[in-house]
Amino acid sequence: MKRMIPAFGLSAALALTLAACGGDATNETPSTDGGDTTAEEMTDEPVTLTLAGWSLNTTPEFQVLADSFSEAYPNVTVEVAEYGDGDDYDTQMIADLAAGVAPDIYVQKNLKNFFTYADGQQLLDISDVVSGLDPATGGVDFYQMDGTSYAVPYRQDSWLLYYNKDLFAEAGIDEPDGTWTWDDYVETSKALSDELDVKGSYQHSWQSVVQGFALAQSDGAALDSGDYSYLAPFYERSLDLQDAKAQESFGTVTTNSLSYQAQFGTQEAAMLPMGTWYVATLIAQQENGEAEDFEWGMAPIPQVDSSTTGTDATPVTFGDPTGLGINPAIDEDKVAAAKAFLAFAAGEGGADALAGIGITPALLSDTVVDTYFSLDGVPTDELSAFAFSTHDTRPENPVAETTAVVQNILGDAHSAIMSESDSVDDALAEASDRAANEAGIG
Amino acid sequence: MATTSVDQIHGGPGPSVPVPPRPLRRSRGRLALRNTLVGWSFILPNFLGFGLLTLIPVVTLFYLSFTSWNVFGTAQWVGLENFQRLIGDGSYHTALFNTLYYGVFHIPLTLAASLGLALLLNRKLRGVAFFRTVAFLPYITSIVAIAAVWNMLFSPEFGPINQFLTAVGVSNPPGWTTSADWSMPAIIIVSVWRDMGYYMLLFLAGLQTVPGELYEAARVDGAGAWSRFRNVTLPCLRPTTFFVTVLLTIGSFKIFDLILVMTGGGPGQSTLVLSQYIYNKGFVENQFGYSSAVAVSLFVICLSVTVFQFVWNKRRDA
Repeated sequence: MKRMIPAFGLSAALALTLAACGGDATNETPSTDGGDTTAEEMTDEPVTLTLAGWSLNTTPEFQVLADSFSEAYPNVTVEVAEYGDGDDYDTQMIADLAAGVAPDIYVQKNLKNFFTYADGQQLLDISDVVSGLDPATGGVDFYQMDGTSYAVPYRQDSWLLYYNKDLFAEAGIDEPDGTWTWDDYVETSKALSDELDVKGSYQHSWQSVVQGFALAQSDGAALDSGDYSYLAPFYERSLDLQDAKAQESFGTVTTNSLSYQAQFGTQEAAMLPMGTWYVATLIAQQENGEAEDFEWGMAPIPQVDSSTTGTDATPVTFGDPTGLGINPAIDEDKVAAAKAFLAFAAGEGGADALAGIGITPALLSDTVVDTYFSLDGVPTDELSAFAFSTHDTRPENPVAETTAVVQNILGDAHSAIMSESDSVDDALAEASDRAANEAGIG
Repeated sequence: MATTSVDQIHGGPGPSVPVPPRPLRRSRGRLALRNTLVGWSFILPNFLGFGLLTLIPVVTLFYLSFTSWNVFGTAQWVGLENFQRLIGDGSYHTALFNTLYYGVFHIPLTLAASLGLALLLNRKLRGVAFFRTVAFLPYITSIVAIAAVWNMLFSPEFGPINQFLTAVGVSNPPGWTTSADWSMPAIIIVSVWRDMGYYMLLFLAGLQTVPGELYEAARVDGAGAWSRFRNVTLPCLRPTTFFVTVLLTIGSFKIFDLILVMTGGGPGQSTLVLSQYIYNKGFVENQFGYSSAVAVSLFVICLSVTVFQFVWNKRRDA
């Protein structure tokens, strides 16, 4: 996940361009759900809230949320405080919280550090805000510990399959139709590689590209089980693709610092499993010439078996939400306004504002999906709309004290397996041993 | 010391000036205080920086190594628990082994390469300044740029190194940074290449102190180039060699940045070193107590090796 952050920033940067093309969609009334409950407690006194964000020049979502909220609640001003990008964000935020100088509202960039914040009592109980949210909001449960909610999701990227329609047509191979299992994906990738001068697929070097799907789609899989054999079939498929030269080898990807944007954007690969943040990036790059001009679409990510395939089923994928929590050191008279902000950001108002700049909100109502698909350049076919809006998204980093340690261990296993330094079974057995030793699990 | 200062400030030799004893004492006392304050004011900025940014953190680190602390809340005293955990921690053992592996090759290879370069560039050749600059350039180049370029050179399929090896008949060239067996040698190669220019400068400085008469005398006695090097150059360079060895040893144990950007400690744990383990445990996993214990162990290792080197050097001097 860690390496996703630059891409995340970039996509947001390019989303600025989209915002210009997409017209205004930020002018929504505040959520009628949780927003009203907390709004009632608010006075008309002027309130200034501070909100943490990162790389504000290239990540417009914080300012967009702040502005659209202030529009709905004119007595509240939201000032955005800039923090470092990447891993620096959490390091700086932890330091500021410990020093008592952190902003009133701060972002949970992913779920990896959520346990540290919540367990360290650095997040206010906001269960009342959550109880008022639309039940369709994705990722709400991920922020619960012992039945108490400590953050609300405002953004929920999830992984799907991007594919190049032109290359499929050139190879004379049927496009994905939403019924694919991983075996279909591997078979098609090899067929595309045989027919074309380019790779059938591009899987980036991140551990999540293999492990995120395995964790989400395998029955009984759990990071804190200490048994990682569920990863084996996913690795075997990835190695099969690599050995068949249907995708670039892990060594080539890492040593040449290949970027997935360039690989898919310049038609070096026909398919790309990637998160929804890439939609905005790809559209912007096609506009500014960094990516070539070709027709593309989005399909549900392949599944383990046919029980979750097809457009009448809900495909299972993964993705950590991005959430907002309240610093417990906030002035008491600002709490109501801060809760109103959270309700707004996670509700229809925030969702529509975010969709208007090409960001995937946690709440995907019909209106929000319409806003998103009205942006110039977003594919308008039915399968793309289905893939974007229908999925069962499981967390990449389920909240637990051991998650950060286990992800580190599995990261080592990933590089050992993909570089073929170690066999799948040996690397996973070693991961289990280390999980027992270093995290005391299994 | 105080007398000298007083004399200087009075502008003349003390005894020749008839000054009543009591006022002199008082004025001397005041001046001594003033001088002390002036002295302190000179070192204060540096000492403040050192105290705030090094001394206090280091003392805190020692304290934290006996605690369990995840940043928030108070650190819980756990006594020697963290150090006991080190004994059974396989990843710590791997990191320690890799650090020693790196040091065992990096120290002598860099020493030899930098001394060789210094000897080569100590001659009166045309353009020697240019070559010295070229040799020093890697040291001042951004580590991230170095890592990116070397990673490409080492690329197993398309990298020029393996293409060259294939061209000269190596049928199965190494996987370098993508192979658990070859990743550390790759790091060592880049590291020696990067560091040798800096240590070359130190050796060059040392070579300027070797008296030319010794070489002349050796020549007169019929000593060849190798004999002159062994019996004149090397003994005269001993203080420099010792200094370079100590710096290289500490530098080797502290290696972090190059590995972090080149391999991130992988593949697997094949290039995980102690500094990165400290970073992972602390800043990635928020186990600051345990992370501090690993840091203390690294400190003890560095200190022991350096003390051993000093003692050994002293014995040889004697």
